[in-house]
Amino acid sequence: MLKIDKLVKAYQFRRETVPVLHNISLEVPRGKIFGFLGANGAGKTTTIKVIVDLLFADSGTIMIDNLPHSSIKAKRLIGFMPEQPQFYHHLSAREVLLFVGELFELDPKTVETKAKNLLRQVGLADAENTVVRRFSKGMHQRLAFAVALMNDPKLLIMDEPLDGLDPLGRLDFKRLFLEQKKLGTTIFLSSHILSDVEEICDEVAIINKGQIVKQGTPQKLRGTYPTLEEYFVSTVQKQ
Amino acid sequence: MKLNGSIIKSIAINTFRETVRDKLLYSLLGFAVLTIAASLLAGSVSLGQDARVIQNFGITALLVFLLIITIFIGTQLVYREVERKTIYLTLSKPLTRESFYLGKYIGLCLTIAVCALVMGVVFLAVLRWKTGQFSTPVIWATSFVILEAWLLTAVGLLFSSFTSALASAVYTFGIVLIGHSATTIWILSQKSQGILRYVLEMVYYLFPNLEKFNLRNEIVYNFQPDLQQVLLVVAYFIAYTAAVLLAGLAIFRRDEF
Repeated sequence: MLKIDKLVKAYQFRRETVPVLHNISLEVPRGKIFGFLGANGAGKTTTIKVIVDLLFADSGTIMIDNLPHSSIKAKRLIGFMPEQPQFYHHLSAREVLLFVGELFELDPKTVETKAKNLLRQVGLADAENTVVRRFSKGMHQRLAFAVALMNDPKLLIMDEPLDGLDPLGRLDFKRLFLEQKKLGTTIFLSSHILSDVEEICDEVAIINKGQIVKQGTPQKLRGTYPTLEEYFVSTVQKQ
Repeated sequence: MKLNGSIIKSIAINTFRETVRDKLLYSLLGFAVLTIAASLLAGSVSLGQDARVIQNFGITALLVFLLIITIFIGTQLVYREVERKTIYLTLSKPLTRESFYLGKYIGLCLTIAVCALVMGVVFLAVLRWKTGQFSTPVIWATSFVILEAWLLTAVGLLFSSFTSALASAVYTFGIVLIGHSATTIWILSQKSQGILRYVLEMVYYLFPNLEKFNLRNEIVYNFQPDLQQVLLVVAYFIAYTAAVLLAGLAIFRRDEF
């Protein structure tokens, strides 16, 4: 579903070039939940931003369902939830979803019902007419998830989706992820809450200092380590 | 350049909604309306020239406030999108950056047109109440001021695509000053020699000549612009604005967020 091949990205700070991603290659199988793990500054968010076309790759290719990632057709397949999502303060939750529906050029007749259903699904039914600036962090996360589902995506890309949620919220989100998987959606998520990743992901890749250091199923990678977290810490420290 | 009409419309409407729900706009607009209404006071202290004073005072107030609105709201919008990260919500969706940029521009132009309409109606009402006449030149002058504000919106948007909101506002204000000094710059260039002459001529041609949109003298003497003048001004507006929008787009297309 998602194929990244030899992705290279560096940032320019004044006259200095800081390499961030070095020849990253990975493949996310269709219909699976794929965890993208790494410490802060490892390159997770940069990779995600390049996939969704907010940053430009220096070299390498990214294909989504065999389409170039920056094409309009490929973007129609993606649902994106950024880290610390933000919305237009002047809009209500319902208006945000209607606006996103317009950007996807969804049928105006169905978009209203879809928005209501999604808000109910993520637990924001009572706040549909509340302006977003009054939302808590958790509510922002929930709305961001609804936004990501607005176009019935084939590929859900989420950057730290469980960040800022209380234990009940995390439980809710994990249930929603599994529901999406059942519907055939491929999920690519970055996270540093490794217990959750281990619980829901079919496959994971570990990125460290801009390079993919391991990829496989959580059980296979963990091997003899008691938890994925301990395996992750040991792998990253060895690098 | 790939443009999508329905996406541009959605972004324009959202931008318009964003600006008209901004308290700053209402404060500026309220103050503008009060100032235009206060032209009655200025008229009452003049000796038999009250209509002229009201016309001059009113159209100047309209221009100044519309430019303030353009500079403050226009230069903030794209920068605020990046600063608040709301740009992630839109640019990750199936749309081109060209559609986003043009949608923002049109939304802002719509806000400016509505503000000008409110101020223009108050101005016309004040004039009508004081003189008992309906002034067509005021409508022409207001229309030209709108064109000027739309051109400056494109300039503000260009600056805000590569610099901070404050710097964009300062630069756009600089363009307003230079643009309204175009005639002086031309006269100076013709009286200069050598490199200075070339520099001044370059400034004259490169920067927008905002004096083309100035009909303040005409309305005071109740003159109406002829068709040729109107067409020339509209053509100048279209050509200059298109060039500035294309330059802004060239930068915005390569921006990373």
